[in-house]
Amino acid sequence: MSQVSAALPVASGRETAREVWRLSRGHRLRLVTVGVLGVASTAVNLIPPIIIGFLVDRVRAGTADAGTVLVVAAAMVLSAILGAAGTAVTIVLATRVYHTILAGLREQLVRRAMTLPQHLVERAGTGDLISRTSDDVTAVADAAPAVIPALTVTAFTIVVSLGGLAALEWPYAVAFAVVLPVYVLVMRWYLRIGPRVYGAERAAMSARAQQILESQRGYATVLGLGLTEQRHRSVLDASWGVAVWTLRARVVQAMLSLRLNFGECLSLATVLVIGFVLIDSGASTVGAATAAMLLVLRLLGPINELVFVVDDLQSALASLSRMIGVATIPAEADEPAATAGAGVAVRLNDVAFRYGDGPRLFDNLVLDIPAGQRTAVVGSSGAGKTTLAAVIAGIHLPEDGTVARPGRTTLITQETHVFAGSLRDNLTLGAPAASDDDIQAALDATGAAGLLDLLPDGLNTTIGTGGYPLTDAQAQQLALTRLLLADPELAILDEATAEAGSTHAGLLDRAADAVLDGRTGLVIAHRLSQAATCDRIVVMEHGRIIENGTHDELVAAGGVYGELWSAWEAGRNMNNKAGRTGS
Amino acid sequence: MPPSIPAIPWAPADPPAVQPFAADPGTTAGRFLLRVILSVRRVTVPAALAATLWQVGEAAVPVVMGLAIDRALSTGDAGQLVLWIGALVALYVGLTTAAKFAVQLTAYAIQLLQHRLRSTLSTGVLHPVAGGAHAPDGGVVSLMTNDVGRMANGVQLVIMPIARVVTIGFIAVSLLTTHWVLGLAVLVGAPVAVWLMGVLSERLSRDTREYQGLLATTVGMATDVVAGYRVVKGIRAETEATRRYQQASQETLVGAKRNAGLLGRFLMGSGVVTGVFVAAVMGLAGWFAVDGQLSIGELIAAVGLAQALLPQIQSIANDSIPNLAGSRASSARILDALQTEVVVAPEGDDTPSVTQRPVLEVSTSSTTIRVEPGELVGVRTDDVTAARVAEALLDPRESGSEVVVRLDGIAAGDLSARDYRARVTFTPHRVTLFSGTIRDNLTVTAAAPELVTAAVRAAACDDFAADLDLPVGEDGNRFSGGQLQRLALARALASDAPVLVLHDPTTAVDSVTEHTIAERLRAVRTGRSTLLITSSPALLNSCDRVVDVPVRVGGVA
Repeated sequence: MSQVSAALPVASGRETAREVWRLSRGHRLRLVTVGVLGVASTAVNLIPPIIIGFLVDRVRAGTADAGTVLVVAAAMVLSAILGAAGTAVTIVLATRVYHTILAGLREQLVRRAMTLPQHLVERAGTGDLISRTSDDVTAVADAAPAVIPALTVTAFTIVVSLGGLAALEWPYAVAFAVVLPVYVLVMRWYLRIGPRVYGAERAAMSARAQQILESQRGYATVLGLGLTEQRHRSVLDASWGVAVWTLRARVVQAMLSLRLNFGECLSLATVLVIGFVLIDSGASTVGAATAAMLLVLRLLGPINELVFVVDDLQSALASLSRMIGVATIPAEADEPAATAGAGVAVRLNDVAFRYGDGPRLFDNLVLDIPAGQRTAVVGSSGAGKTTLAAVIAGIHLPEDGTVARPGRTTLITQETHVFAGSLRDNLTLGAPAASDDDIQAALDATGAAGLLDLLPDGLNTTIGTGGYPLTDAQAQQLALTRLLLADPELAILDEATAEAGSTHAGLLDRAADAVLDGRTGLVIAHRLSQAATCDRIVVMEHGRIIENGTHDELVAAGGVYGELWSAWEAGRNMNNKAGRTGS
Repeated sequence: MPPSIPAIPWAPADPPAVQPFAADPGTTAGRFLLRVILSVRRVTVPAALAATLWQVGEAAVPVVMGLAIDRALSTGDAGQLVLWIGALVALYVGLTTAAKFAVQLTAYAIQLLQHRLRSTLSTGVLHPVAGGAHAPDGGVVSLMTNDVGRMANGVQLVIMPIARVVTIGFIAVSLLTTHWVLGLAVLVGAPVAVWLMGVLSERLSRDTREYQGLLATTVGMATDVVAGYRVVKGIRAETEATRRYQQASQETLVGAKRNAGLLGRFLMGSGVVTGVFVAAVMGLAGWFAVDGQLSIGELIAAVGLAQALLPQIQSIANDSIPNLAGSRASSARILDALQTEVVVAPEGDDTPSVTQRPVLEVSTSSTTIRVEPGELVGVRTDDVTAARVAEALLDPRESGSEVVVRLDGIAAGDLSARDYRARVTFTPHRVTLFSGTIRDNLTVTAAAPELVTAAVRAAACDDFAADLDLPVGEDGNRFSGGQLQRLALARALASDAPVLVLHDPTTAVDSVTEHTIAERLRAVRTGRSTLLITSSPALLNSCDRVVDVPVRVGGVA
């Protein structure tokens, strides 16, 4: 559905390996211990098959007695205990290192994500970033129980068992080595088919989640427009879309099992043939053949496991390279410093701007915003007001020209977001040191103190996802309070009070007044009543500034603003009349 | 997709028709789970049979190998060697075929159940035709994906454990025929080993759930921070947001390390239990061999069988027991969601009927808003009252509302949900677009294609929505707030509804465009009734009448 116009980068295999190596710094001694312990404990696990072979030969020779059986049993119990302990310690150590590295990486990822230039994120869509910080982090964490034993114990078991087989009777190991290419072929087949099927299955899953989420978020729309049956069908189609791919994945799994079983059967038959030849020629014993058979049987499990885990490993690696791709985006060059003149808060000097490779939105834009005053920007949709606000705030960097702005510049838009957490956490986001008294004072100033009485636990009430629900107007009131606490030199409000439907418009306007009081303000307004109260008004059209002056000057000049103003006033008057004639 | 991957022949490509599961008030979670997993017996019974053949086949491999060593290798008889290799190949062909059927049938059973459970939740919770007791929260997504998946996995409980218990029985009987003590040792020892490992895994599974909760919190926090990305950037709170995330991440790391420790204890415990058990059986067999009660062939077979016990015991303890716990817990959550949705819809023949274009009346405690057929009426009031009126129009069955909605004088609560929806279309203030193109979104309501064109023009979307085949993006993120509102308005206008209610449709639209919309609105709604809840002067100005609903003390009119 979404175009892959400018997705965020994905690290290459080499970059991923380099970054993981860098992150493993400080854990390398532990990793060496994991290797040594892993080899040792799998070696201990070889004792039972070999000692059974020994027993078989003794029994056949008639030299076994109760003492032999006791020794054999004791050795097996001891190896069971030591092997279990060694395996457990190996996996615990490896798991801890794995999670420590993952925690470091996910923190680096979020830190980098937060400082990325916004246009990169906007182009790729926040969905991409969210999927990397959530789905990918979860995928890498969830892969641990499958991947860690595979990379430590299982891999060592194969190597050590082959070694054991070679030490026991080398022809068996040679025979097994001949069978190994079958497994390599099977693995290559699986890697060609598996990821595609599993990838399609996962894509179907996210489409399904999206359909469910849309119905949930749009509950009122679905109900109000009578779309329940259509949406029900969409969800069920998406649901079965996953089923079809899951079933196909099981077909692939069955085909994989068939190939693996072929390998197993071949290995065991080879052991029988080799054993037959060796024993027939007197080069080996029945006991050794028994031990070789038991060793090969022990090998088959881990090999199958490894083939199955390759898929988990691949998907974890894909997620890892997506995380590292973002975490290691190099820092961008700083915006060239610029100074505004005395009494000027913001100075745009010949600013040119475009989104990516899109058309130029601004060309040679020149604008001074006086300090300590309130300036409004008006114009129709698409005139470039929001882009101007973002360029002034430093969220978008100009292609050419310079922007001088105060050090503490903040921007709030009509897009509200209530963070999951307490009301206090939400408000202190921009001012971590604020005391409860500061918060109370700010809430009083923006007229949001009444909200505090509504919340069951006051400042400690959990709001946001899963918490106490807030209306859009309340959320925006909090956003304005948050801004007041952050106490910026320049506050830019981009249609920040637009969400208010009816009477709350006045409430939010008063909150905005409190926020702008005593500092430089830039207001992107779509209600002319808002613009009219500002000290200066800038009118934009097609990325150019066509008028700039006070309300009275612009009305008197009779330009675009003058026309808008008279149309708006006419509407207001007629409407008042209509109101009186209503029932 | 390469044609080398055939779909399972018996699985349909289109969603099968499914009946929702009944969730009567008396049902318990366990009973509900049982009803669900027993509902696909035509799939699970053959699956269990195939799985049993598969597992017994796996256990027979060491036996066949042992016999081959005894009969062919120790005798040097080449004919026997060929015979036993043939037996081995036949065994593998059999068990592979059985495994294929078992895996695919099990997957099919799981998918059928998932689909039917999802359908049940979709009609019961996500898309109740009559409106639910309350709007579903974000938890419904997890309910319809994770919980449905976990509960449907419960169906494996009537497939794999049966196969494994039968296999343990097979091993025990095989050993009984070799030497009764060995068989008895397995019959007594295997259940004890399963029980011990179940006890060991219990603490680990509990902690794993706790750790997964922690991880979900951290991941949720990252999602939340990234979702609020623009807000964080705007307020320059990047450092603080990162610091908070780091704190949660470190707490999760502590949980992960503790969980790894418990995993180690479990691995240690289960390794010792199974290792000692198998060593004991092998030791006993060795003793009987030394004592002359077992032949070499029998000794090798006994050792092989004892080794084949391991995966069976481990799998019951590590897979089936947690599966039972997980599917029960999910069953309880799903049942809970289904049972709280009490549908109070009077459906049937005895509900009163109304005309195709009814008179709409909305009564608050102070005022009655009356909309005659074909009228365009504006309502001007405060936020809280507007929200109450909107809620009542969205779902007139919602109990406890002081606002009464009537069609042709009949209370809307007495009408069938379908009749009400067929007359009254309501557009909420909050815009939701569905994934797909603009056209996909506009045609969901449209009775005819030309209505879409007219609606696009009336809602002043013609400037940015010239190409209706553009995708709207995730949550409509391709468009600004004002554009989204105009698209939602176009969608409502395309519906050709007899009565259309619009709640604050243009709050994010600039004043110039709002004027255009106000001018075009009347023409597109000619002959149909429209109720506009708004404070916009331009929109109110275009109405036939404007009703002021006064604010009562306490905020509710």
